[in-house]
Amino acid sequence: MAAYRPEPDRDSRAWWERVARREFAVQECESCGTLRFPPRAFCAACRTEGWRWREIAPEGAIESWIVSHRSFAPGRHDPYPVVMVRLTAVPGCLVYGNWRGERPPEAGEPVRAVFTQVDAELTLIDWMPESSTPARSGENQANC
Amino acid sequence: MPTVPNMPKRLLEFRDRAAIAGVGYTPFTKDSGVSTLTLACRAVLAALEDAGLTPDDLDGLATHRVGDSAPPTLVGPALGLADLSWHLDQFGGGSVSHAVVGQAALAVAAGLAETVVCYRAVNARSEFRMGGTGRGVPVSPETQYQAPYGYVAPPQQFAMYARAHMLRYGTTAEQFGTLAVTQRANAAKNPRALMRAPITLDDYLASRWIAEPFRLLDCCLETDGACAVVVTTAERARSLRRHPVLVSAAAWGGGTSHLSCPDPTVTAAAALAPRLYAQAGLGPQDIDVAELYDCFTYSVIVQLEDYGFCPKGEGGPYVASGATAPDGALPVNTHGGFLSEGYVHGVNHIAEAVSQLRGDAGDRQVPGAEVALSTSQPGYILPATSALILRRA
Repeated sequence: MAAYRPEPDRDSRAWWERVARREFAVQECESCGTLRFPPRAFCAACRTEGWRWREIAPEGAIESWIVSHRSFAPGRHDPYPVVMVRLTAVPGCLVYGNWRGERPPEAGEPVRAVFTQVDAELTLIDWMPESSTPARSGENQANC
Repeated sequence: MPTVPNMPKRLLEFRDRAAIAGVGYTPFTKDSGVSTLTLACRAVLAALEDAGLTPDDLDGLATHRVGDSAPPTLVGPALGLADLSWHLDQFGGGSVSHAVVGQAALAVAAGLAETVVCYRAVNARSEFRMGGTGRGVPVSPETQYQAPYGYVAPPQQFAMYARAHMLRYGTTAEQFGTLAVTQRANAAKNPRALMRAPITLDDYLASRWIAEPFRLLDCCLETDGACAVVVTTAERARSLRRHPVLVSAAAWGGGTSHLSCPDPTVTAAAALAPRLYAQAGLGPQDIDVAELYDCFTYSVIVQLEDYGFCPKGEGGPYVASGATAPDGALPVNTHGGFLSEGYVHGVNHIAEAVSQLRGDAGDRQVPGAEVALSTSQPGYILPATSALILRRA
């Protein structure tokens, strides 16, 4: 099970629905074309409301990582790594996830998203080295 | 002194108009056994007593909190104050601690109130643990993108930023440890401090992992307690019992969020600092003592850079050189800080700066301290930060 289930809101619900379909989408401003994440009504660059979903390559680079040794969340007891990833497609944007590499991450390392289906309603996004072979659909077992 | 384009000239009129006339504490413990309302009342009364005032002299109350403590609308009536002319209940944690005192200083300078007490009261060990264990996830729209991965607590979040700094600049665990050891030595000279037993660098390195790269001794305490300061006009402070400490500058700033942070090794303090120094007409070279927000060791190191005490990336070597020790170029967290005195969300840093400038800090007194910098959380996570420059009148 997930440590905590996300609580989608009126800005984010459609984003989570796309993740459940294994799609990494962000908003693209209809006026100036700026990509943004997380989902919000307004473009911070031109302050307009019109936008469309734009699927991006689920890729980024390792900015930092930690290994948690305390039970910071229900159901998590063993040391577990969390990575901070700078999305390639959305400048300035950082996202987080658990690490699916066989070895510790490296600074600046290119990574790709791993869609991890938790249950029928919930899919999460983890990260693995870009050079690794992505597991086939259904082989990503949630252990978070 | 750095130049600041577009700084409103009226800000300079605010310099030294307000003063801190008293400080008050409850004991710092792991279990107060009383409500945050009781803690708040005790600290407010202690601060008034220190200033030589009574509750009848009070016409303003202010606090910051995250839904975890008693607001002015409870504390005022509990002390028989039915008609406060000014009050402030600021949402936020450590990033707004100094903003509250800054706003109180503006309120008294503008005549909205004459005497305001700013307080923070927490049962942050026995009830609402800031460290994140044993309580729910903080409610923010951004939480949904982190909490499912077990990434929820400040020790994890600051460890993430600390690692980024280590990767970029070669900052080391030993440098974090030197800071923890130095602050513990300061706390050994502070009767209020919760943790007074000296530690060594080996003790630091042997302390258990919390969230790598942070060990236990990188993390601040979780404390039950309250701290308060009396803010009044500089004119009135001169007629009171204690030597006045002037608010020479108070500045607010922005910051970054979890999800939008162009460079995790630079904080909002870097943008705030020039405004703050210009307002006071001072620069980093004029600061005699600094009480820097130390929720974790790393937050001090990045602030030493962003407040201009050393170049970017050299905060670790600066600490390792002994510069932040009591006999160094910039004594830092002379009370032991959150790491060793106690964690009262910023207000105990302001109170310690006041003690240093009044010259009543006892065994930990920095000789001849005239100017102090005291800071809040430098703008990670919640896009807000704040800081004060205080000066002995």
